[in-house]
Amino acid sequence: MSVAQVIASERPVGPTRRRLVHRLLYGRNVDRSAKTRARIALAIAAFATVYAVIALRLVLFAVAPESHAARRTGSQDAVATARPDILDRNRQVLATDVRMPSLFGEPRKVIDVDEATELLTAVLPDLDSGEVRERLGSKRGFVWLKREIKPQQQHEIHRLGIPGVGFLSENKRVYPNGAEVSHLIGHVNIDNQGIAGIEKWLDDRGLADLHRAGFASDRQQTPIELAVDLRVQHALRDELIAAAEKFKAKAAAGLVVDVNTGEIISMVSVPDYDPNNPRQANDPTRINRLTTGVFELGSTFKALTVAMALDSGKITLNSSFDARVPLRYGKFNISDYHAQRRIMTVPEIFTYSSNIGTARMALALGVEHHKWFLRKVGQLDRLRTELPESAEPLVPKRWGELNTVTIAFGHGLSVAPLQAVMGINALVNGGYLIPPTFMKRSEQEARALATQVIRPETSEKMRYLFRLNAEKGTANKADVKGFYVGGKTGTSEKVVGGRYSKTKLLTTFTAVMPCDKPRYQVLIMLDEPQPLKETHGYATSGWNAAPTAGKVIARIAPLLGLEPRFELPPAERLILARGQ
Amino acid sequence: MLRLINLAVIGALVLAAAWVYEIKYSSTRQAERVAKLRAEIRRERDTIAALRAEWAQLDNPDRIQILARRHLTLKPIEPTQFDTLERLPDKPIDIVPPGTADPIAALIEIMVDPEVVTNGVTDPEASQ
Repeated sequence: MSVAQVIASERPVGPTRRRLVHRLLYGRNVDRSAKTRARIALAIAAFATVYAVIALRLVLFAVAPESHAARRTGSQDAVATARPDILDRNRQVLATDVRMPSLFGEPRKVIDVDEATELLTAVLPDLDSGEVRERLGSKRGFVWLKREIKPQQQHEIHRLGIPGVGFLSENKRVYPNGAEVSHLIGHVNIDNQGIAGIEKWLDDRGLADLHRAGFASDRQQTPIELAVDLRVQHALRDELIAAAEKFKAKAAAGLVVDVNTGEIISMVSVPDYDPNNPRQANDPTRINRLTTGVFELGSTFKALTVAMALDSGKITLNSSFDARVPLRYGKFNISDYHAQRRIMTVPEIFTYSSNIGTARMALALGVEHHKWFLRKVGQLDRLRTELPESAEPLVPKRWGELNTVTIAFGHGLSVAPLQAVMGINALVNGGYLIPPTFMKRSEQEARALATQVIRPETSEKMRYLFRLNAEKGTANKADVKGFYVGGKTGTSEKVVGGRYSKTKLLTTFTAVMPCDKPRYQVLIMLDEPQPLKETHGYATSGWNAAPTAGKVIARIAPLLGLEPRFELPPAERLILARGQ
Repeated sequence: MLRLINLAVIGALVLAAAWVYEIKYSSTRQAERVAKLRAEIRRERDTIAALRAEWAQLDNPDRIQILARRHLTLKPIEPTQFDTLERLPDKPIDIVPPGTADPIAALIEIMVDPEVVTNGVTDPEASQ
């Protein structure tokens, strides 16, 4: 102890702490046990640091659970992006993704091109061996050999163990119902991007952004449920194809809409196309006539004119108009197709579909009122739905009295048929104008969106006018007993070379059922139907579109849950009973 | 004393190392299993989707219609073929209460019971 003290006093004085450490560790004069303790403390500190690092690392591993195994499976797919399934209102599949393996090659890794080609063509006989040899012999890093092979074939090729050949699974959109719902859901391109119909709407709604960001490669997306009913869609399409064939029409189209919610239960426009083979979709004769085409709908528009007249309060069901002589307007002569040459009341004008009567009705209220009313019921503005395709109505630029006269009976204003359906819905559902939709919608939601355009009393009168027309008017061929169908025919002449053609007609039929408390509206449209022997040479709506509508109603009404009732009184008595 | 502690610490170290090793390997095994199950789930889901698509294809109304026309004698339903439950006639009243052991004997017994004999039939005992 004394020796140590002596040596310590001989040492030079440095910075205190350093000197202390130095002395403790190396100093010869330091007490041994103190030195040992200091060394142990250093060792403990060093080990503690190492363990702390290990613990930290473990925590980090636990926090980020990504493992190599997970990454390995992830790289096999995510080539083509996934899309949500599309279902109908009864959850039937309308569109779904199926994963298909595709065969690719990495030419740089292929050892023996000829052997690989030989083996591959043995499994895939439809593969062109020359092409495969050329592709595998190229200097590129990646070549597709065959897109969309069968799982069985994938298994066999895997068994062969050819180096430099691999599989990537891709999502392929399939439409199990083929052409049945083509115009409605649209289709996708080879990279699974929606380019028409609801598919495009899905992309516009944010799916495309998800795809671009690299998400949405899995099928864990909530399916989209549409308002369409596949069974109704099929029945409508089947009848329309039959009608187009029977009447040799160029095209046929039909719509079934829920009157109270605006849901589109079915929409068919034939000729259509198979979305699994979308190349046909570019054919201009296969367009969707109901949303992308605009047409002069003829007498169907008279329903709007009559509703306007009744709703104005100036004209009642008892009012009468002079239809004895054709209405001369400038150089135009407006006459009736079913000419009665007498003074007619409003219900008679409707059931005989009198051009003169409706024209006089519209004139009595004035041009401005007519325009205001048509705008109110949505006939003058472009109607937008979920479908990306829509057409602007063709409204005359200068709207004079002559325009009002012709538009009153449905000429001179071209609208998309879906638009007219929306307007007529408002006439019968109590006066609510509800924008149509392809999505499911409850009555409350529809009410929240709706605007009241005519009074409920007027709507009630319109229902009975529709019914009356089916009982004794032009729509009698659509009257399916038991469903209390009402309807309005419409025949318009197509404009050919700037003039109305007498032989090229567009016939429409609007049916409402059941008329006492409407639930569904059915629109049938035939493009250029031809007169037949059994229609006695007529090609007007009452002879082709109306019976087609009747057939459609007989088929779809039970599907839609309508019960047939036979005890309902004729419409005429109901009008009398309710007063005017 | 110190040596004993040292030995204990070394023993603990070895045990800890073995334990960590075990944990690491079991976690790797678990991760592999998770990945495998995930791949399996994915495959199952793909298969389900493919089968559903196939089912929908087979279930397509157009196809069913063609098959029904070819093989069935059924016809589309007519509105007159519907009826409501209210118009269904009432169920006939049970003459014999349900659950009787010998319904025929009970029936005969009821028939000979003088109280249920109607006006049309005269009771032989009463007429005497």
